[in-house]
Amino acid sequence: MAAGAALPALLVAADRVALTVIQGVHGRRRVGQGDSFWQFRRYQPGDATSRIDWRQSAKNRAVFVRETEWEAAASVWLWRDASPSMRWSSADTLPQKAERAELALLALGGLLVNGGERIAQLGTGERPVTGRAVLRRLAATLQIERRHDDADSPSLPRRMALPAYGHVVWFSDFLAPLDEIENLVRYYAGMGVFGHLVQVLDPAEEELPFSGHVRFSGLEGEGTHLIRRVEAVRTAYAQRLTAQREGLARIAASSGWTLHQHRTDHAPQTLLLSLYLAMAQPRLAAAR
Amino acid sequence: MFTLGALAFAAPWMLALAITLPVIWWLLRLMPPAPKLVRFPAIRLLLGLKPDEETPRRLPLWLAILRLLLVSLMIAALAQPLLNPAGEIEGGGPLVVVIDDGWGAAPGWRQRQQHIGNLIDKAERAGRSVAIVTTAPPAIDEQPLPRGLMRPADARALIGALKPKPWPTDRAALARTLDAAPYGTDATVVWVSDGLDGPAATALGERLTAIGALQLLLPEGGVAPVALLPPSVQGGELVLRAARPPADQPRRIAVQASDEQGRALARMEMEFAAGESQAQTPFSVPNELRNRVVRLDVERQGGAGSAVLLDERFRRRPVGIVGEPPSETGTPLLNEVYYLDRALAPFAALSVGDIGKLLQEKLAVVLLPDNAAPSTADSDALAQWVAAGGVLVRFAGPRLANAPDDGLIPVRLRAGERALGGAIAWGEPATLAEFSDKSPFAGLAIPQDVRISQQVLAEPNAELSDRTWARLSDGTPLVTAERRGEGWLVLFHSSANTTWNNLPLSGLFVEMLQRLVALSRGVAGGTFDQALRPYRVFDGFGRLGDPPVGVRPILPDQSAKFVPAPATPPGLYGEEGAQQAFNLGDRVGTLAALTGIPGGATLGLIEAQSEIDLVPFVLVAALILLLADMFIALWLRGLLPAATRLRRAPAAMLAIALLGGGLGLSLPTDVRAQSSGAAATPDELYLRATLETRLAYVVTGNNEVDQISRAGLTGLGNVLRQRTSVEPAEPIGVDPESDELRLFPFIYWPVTAEQPSLSRAGIAAVDRFLKQGGIILFDTRDAHLTGGRSGIGSGTRELRRLLAGIEIPPLVAMPKDHVIGKSFYLLSDFPGRWSGGALWLEAGDGRVNDGVSSLVIGGNDWAGAWAINSFGDPMLPVAPGGNNQRELAYRFGVNIVMYALTGNYKDDQVHLPKILERLVR
Repeated sequence: MAAGAALPALLVAADRVALTVIQGVHGRRRVGQGDSFWQFRRYQPGDATSRIDWRQSAKNRAVFVRETEWEAAASVWLWRDASPSMRWSSADTLPQKAERAELALLALGGLLVNGGERIAQLGTGERPVTGRAVLRRLAATLQIERRHDDADSPSLPRRMALPAYGHVVWFSDFLAPLDEIENLVRYYAGMGVFGHLVQVLDPAEEELPFSGHVRFSGLEGEGTHLIRRVEAVRTAYAQRLTAQREGLARIAASSGWTLHQHRTDHAPQTLLLSLYLAMAQPRLAAAR
Repeated sequence: MFTLGALAFAAPWMLALAITLPVIWWLLRLMPPAPKLVRFPAIRLLLGLKPDEETPRRLPLWLAILRLLLVSLMIAALAQPLLNPAGEIEGGGPLVVVIDDGWGAAPGWRQRQQHIGNLIDKAERAGRSVAIVTTAPPAIDEQPLPRGLMRPADARALIGALKPKPWPTDRAALARTLDAAPYGTDATVVWVSDGLDGPAATALGERLTAIGALQLLLPEGGVAPVALLPPSVQGGELVLRAARPPADQPRRIAVQASDEQGRALARMEMEFAAGESQAQTPFSVPNELRNRVVRLDVERQGGAGSAVLLDERFRRRPVGIVGEPPSETGTPLLNEVYYLDRALAPFAALSVGDIGKLLQEKLAVVLLPDNAAPSTADSDALAQWVAAGGVLVRFAGPRLANAPDDGLIPVRLRAGERALGGAIAWGEPATLAEFSDKSPFAGLAIPQDVRISQQVLAEPNAELSDRTWARLSDGTPLVTAERRGEGWLVLFHSSANTTWNNLPLSGLFVEMLQRLVALSRGVAGGTFDQALRPYRVFDGFGRLGDPPVGVRPILPDQSAKFVPAPATPPGLYGEEGAQQAFNLGDRVGTLAALTGIPGGATLGLIEAQSEIDLVPFVLVAALILLLADMFIALWLRGLLPAATRLRRAPAAMLAIALLGGGLGLSLPTDVRAQSSGAAATPDELYLRATLETRLAYVVTGNNEVDQISRAGLTGLGNVLRQRTSVEPAEPIGVDPESDELRLFPFIYWPVTAEQPSLSRAGIAAVDRFLKQGGIILFDTRDAHLTGGRSGIGSGTRELRRLLAGIEIPPLVAMPKDHVIGKSFYLLSDFPGRWSGGALWLEAGDGRVNDGVSSLVIGGNDWAGAWAINSFGDPMLPVAPGGNNQRELAYRFGVNIVMYALTGNYKDDQVHLPKILERLVR
């Protein structure tokens, strides 16, 4: 498989990004169901006698119960925008938005698998599973999709039935009309799915650094638009972009979802850290 | 035609297009530049956005100027600009160009062609037709040129192919045959002449004037024709002469003598005085070289008239010696023929025999020794031969002393000889007096040790003094001569061997004989008795080539009347090896200058300056601007993605240049500093020498030799690394006085005179090194001086000095099957820079040091052959040379390093077949 050659490189990069986050954030630190020891606690009425740690109790007068750390696996469906508008970068030195999205997706997948969660790619119809193998499969699927280079690949995920309490993480530039996005988020939130929106943008899309007489052409057949003096529309553009973002934030907040901003000239680690923190919030467990 | 100094426009009305420039300017400034194209994913956010103000839709000023310049250049090209305009042709009617294309036109032929080309250009611009008329008859295998009117382009091709001819012009024939009908009567006639007057010049001038206005063009002084004449004998000397048409200016020319391969042998200058038409100079070529001269050329003339071919007559003087050829077994030193033969052999073609046989050959000089006295019949034959131009040189002796007058002596002799000195004589042997200025021997230096002890004496009379060419110190004649007819009769009053004098042993004898031979005028006459085929003939530029078909042989009776013509061009005639030269210079008569034509011809000079058509240059400039404009347009529209990368390229290139410069500066480090620095502290030396295998050389103090040693061992190290498992590091220079030699397996020691003798400690160190099995290769580097015989060169002497005090075992020349010859490569010869030097080794009996010789001594300068520079190229040439020799030198180096490292290992290997045989059994 020719794409296999590129696969490990992407995985390694994703692992490297994920590793920096693991070092900064530690596990769930909660008592719960699991195998690893968490703490001893005095026996309280109501505890099952089978949970008494007799060895520890023999060393003391009190009776101790052994508690394990909470180890619960959540199911996370990951998705990234593969539409042509993502295959773009404003400069040779910058990665394409799609590349950055894939990297972040895989790195997040790696973190989740390490944390024992089950992951799957949204839209493939596969069941969420855990283990390193799923990462390889994920990377291979991304690779194949990229090679197919679908011009009509959708800018937003399709509607699929997901079990409640599932999680979705969407990587996209979210430049689609806000009502489309809102409908989709409502649909998923209505099923009880918890979600995170990651908006990946190129710095040029944020700053509009062009000047003078420019004819813009879209990447998804939107046609062309001639602007006589780009400097003059820069402020108006910035306002529109801000409006889009605020709309997104509003949609996310109304459904209890989170929104994350990312620029391709920034380090992916920061994005991953904020994503990870957002997913590790106690609220998540509570929502369960 | 519109002229601006040196610039002119052939179509100036086209410049009127320049009034459109302001319109173009206005249009350019009006047209907006095309927008940049940008692909942008977030276009949805941009849709519908309208800027309040717009970018001014204006072209940048500099781009407008660039495009305006482009248009201006195109307009200029349309106007056909010319540099150095030739002006316009005057008069009307067709242009008739009359060309003197005889031998005199060869110098400055290019100028003539240029000038005529310019004329044709002008005629072309004026739309006139052109006629070309030549005055010299065409070559025998060529058609005469068409004389009719033709298009200027055809005329230009004709002129380009036209060449001067190696014969004179024939204006009379042209004046007779020129048909004026096609040209009308108002033609413009330009006569490009060779500057030589002739009988029919006036006639032709009149004829041409009848056709139209005549302009006569004359060559400038520098390219006026010069005829070089074959050297001739004047007063006993060869003289070179040249002729030119008389001119007011003096002119200096140089004549170059060259041999058969075209190598210049001599250069003689001569000067035409103002108003003179003749110049001459002595043919000052040394005798040894004179025989090799085959042609003479006037420098920077390049024509058949200024070249002279010399044939056998000029070169080899056939000399006959009457007598028996000296035999090997007899007593040659008593034979007179022996001395004459030895004296003349290098300079003349000698034949030895009796008179009858000699006279059948063509001889310039006959030498008659005393013991070959001629018979009466022979005397008569000789007398006739002398009268016809031969030079007879007689030598006195006992026979002549007893038979004084046989008719072949220049002065009357007294009977008997006069003895000066000897056992029973009072007088001393006489010396020679200075030669008088009239004598052909004038100027010869007289060696002090020449003594004449016996001579024949002349009867004194009134003529004796005039006929005497050489005297003894007492005034008595030694050489007398008499003019007889065309030839000379010369008598040496003493013998041709050493019985009467020791003159034949001196160099003076050789020089005197040479002068006598030079006196002769070559093979008498230059007659021949059979037709001579053309062998090589001149073309108009004085180049020898195969004769064209149709050139006639020269019959015997025609040789004196030879005239250069299409059927008989000048050149070499005859069979291969026996040609006779027919030159042009002496067959064209006296030269007269053509200064004008009666009847009102305007005069002009032939000029080479040609006009330059600027149209192509202007068009190329416009094209370059157009390309630049295209790229600029692309760049403005953002369609030039490489532009961003290009912007970074200069910086990268600068960095590379700086890096390269830095490397270059750091390369030439002082070799000596490295080597001496290495030996700064003993510990460092120990480490450097032992961590890696290193070859070492002895620092001699001669910087040049040390650098070669270092470079040589570096080169050898490279070869070892490439070909063997020995991987030596950089070589180290050691001083046997102070450095520890034992660290090295092999030391190369070039022997120089500069190296001081070793101190006691140094001797001990070297001795210890040798005893412990180290190997020193002593290189005396003098095999090219000793010719391969060891033991006599200065290098050997120095080696003895250096090794004094060291216990050296007996040495032997290397046996044929020694291990050095097979330790890696199989070698039988060990060349270095020189080859052939012998190799000396210890004569070990195998008991000491396992029979490995500690000393290897030779003189082939191996380091010189191994030495490479920092680029890996050899530094010094090898002699006799060739890559093979250098390769063998490297192989020897590999072998001796292998010998140093493995000892006699390969010697044992030689027995391997035997051992295997035993094992099988």
